[in-house]
Amino acid sequence: MFDPSATLQLIVSGLAMGSIYALVALGFILIYNAVGVVNFAQGDFVMFPSYIAVSFILPSVFVFGTVMHWQLPTVFVYLLVLVLMAGFGLLFNRIAYYPLRDRGWLPVVISTIGVSIFLRNLAQIVWGSQPIVFPSLFSVQTLTVGSMHFRSQDLLILAVAGVLIAFQYVLFERTTLGKQMRATAQDRATAQLLGIRVDRIVAITFIYSVLLGAIAGLLVSPIFTVTKEMGGLISLKAFAASIVGGFGSIPGAILGGLLIGVVENLGGYYISTDYKDAIAFVILIGVLLLRPSGFFGERVSEKA
Amino acid sequence: MNRRGAVVAVLLVACALVPFVVHSQYVLQVTDTALIYAIVVIGLGILLGFTGQMSLAQAAFFGMGAYASAIASTTLGWSPWISIPFGALFAAAIGAAVGYPCLRLSGHYLALATIGFGIIVQLVFINARSLTNGPDGINSIPPPHLGSLALDTYQTYFYVAYGALLISVYIAWRVKHSRIGRAFEAIRENEIAAQAMGINATHYKVLAFVLASAFGGLAGGLIAHMTRFISPDSYSFDQSVIFLVMLVIGGSATITGAVTGAILLTFLPEFLRPLKDSYIMIYGAAVVLMVIFMPEGIVGLVRRLIPSYQAPPAAPMHATNSIADSA
Repeated sequence: MFDPSATLQLIVSGLAMGSIYALVALGFILIYNAVGVVNFAQGDFVMFPSYIAVSFILPSVFVFGTVMHWQLPTVFVYLLVLVLMAGFGLLFNRIAYYPLRDRGWLPVVISTIGVSIFLRNLAQIVWGSQPIVFPSLFSVQTLTVGSMHFRSQDLLILAVAGVLIAFQYVLFERTTLGKQMRATAQDRATAQLLGIRVDRIVAITFIYSVLLGAIAGLLVSPIFTVTKEMGGLISLKAFAASIVGGFGSIPGAILGGLLIGVVENLGGYYISTDYKDAIAFVILIGVLLLRPSGFFGERVSEKA
Repeated sequence: MNRRGAVVAVLLVACALVPFVVHSQYVLQVTDTALIYAIVVIGLGILLGFTGQMSLAQAAFFGMGAYASAIASTTLGWSPWISIPFGALFAAAIGAAVGYPCLRLSGHYLALATIGFGIIVQLVFINARSLTNGPDGINSIPPPHLGSLALDTYQTYFYVAYGALLISVYIAWRVKHSRIGRAFEAIRENEIAAQAMGINATHYKVLAFVLASAFGGLAGGLIAHMTRFISPDSYSFDQSVIFLVMLVIGGSATITGAVTGAILLTFLPEFLRPLKDSYIMIYGAAVVLMVIFMPEGIVGLVRRLIPSYQAPPAAPMHATNSIADSA
């Protein structure tokens, strides 16, 4: 039955999960806007950095079946992961996209699928198939306000996502690099004519997208466990979020993500736990049928 | 009969001798599976290769055929010879119901809607316990019988799968070279121009979707009565992706490409098995390399290597290029 304090808790944790979807959805959209392709490996850019982080943070971890005792300081590990993933984003751009850039979208989609299969199974080889528990960053797990309890991690997620979105706004609206990224996304040929090094800007966009996925992974893994499948459902729901908001729209992705996070949390509680994971896709199909351009989309259907 | 026809006839007979030559149960099992997957991929080829519409729900239709046939033969006691076609019809009916609203969308949007649909279907398989027995799946699915002979070995089942594949190839070939096939191709090349020529694009796109669903459902029934056990995890989004990869690697606009891709990529992971844990990882890397270095799929590669082979005018990857132009 309706319970206001439970509902408020569900909304807050839904917003936190929704922020994760929003970050992953932004990663999708930036690459889509830049090169017109949906990156099916985006979810694995959530999973892989989580594995790297957890193996340096935990006191002992099995890597290739041998026990490792790295246990480095958490902040250092996070920075290390971001640097590694930036390099990985560049590599991904060079291998999976660059050779195929003139061949239409389907070959690139298939090649990102290949990368996804590769990464998931690389993770399984390196870290095994047992889920790994990511240690919490907080000594106090929940914050109590009156009769309500909020997870500290949820509040951290909301704070970091807020800062990131503000950062991205400044990047896109106020810096030359951001303007070049937007120009490339809008019209590649014209951007190139105006002297923008389009290939470099596209590579930077890939790196940025991979980093968004990595940050989402680092934020979400203390809530879930780290498994090779952890990125799959998150990325599919982020997909759904980006459509609901209007594909290609940045504010749309953020609001779509938050909406799906909150609705599925409430639906899971009030309607059915079994079908909680279906809620995002029911919303997706509903939106596609009633308003294919989403809430913020400019186009009515696929560009003609 | 011309020379090419004779070559094809000899090849078909040679393939029918496989169960006499191969004795390894394991190889035969992979072979039967490959033939059945080829049917699924032919269906997907009708939709993507012929018509230019992308679906990532093919595993869901494969699963619906499997579940419909399994439930009809276990709970209702139908003969598999009736329940398998019933599975195909069931999948086709759902395909029609879903296709009508979804095919107003195209390109990435259609792909995304089908992903959503596929995931919902798998969740139904997992959670509708009274019907599907939930995550435990359905076991003791009966094999088909020929008179008193149960077709319950991989040797005998080979002929069921092979026969179904030949029928599927024939149907797909007839569709391709008919008025319907030409309408599909016109829609693939340019939907607006096709409509200007009087082709009802929605009608034909839904028809392509229904055919793809029916082939998927047929293959689902076939696999259910071969393995005689089904569970929801075989019909995931990942499986849909694998079917798509098979089609694109094989060469998406040709029936030969669909069959070659399905058979090769069913065997490829098995060939890589000696690499132990890393075999699926290598498979992923191989997919990337194949897309980069074989732009027209395996069929396109063969055509380039054998210049005397008289290629039909349509280039296999053409479908993809025209999708790219409109996307």
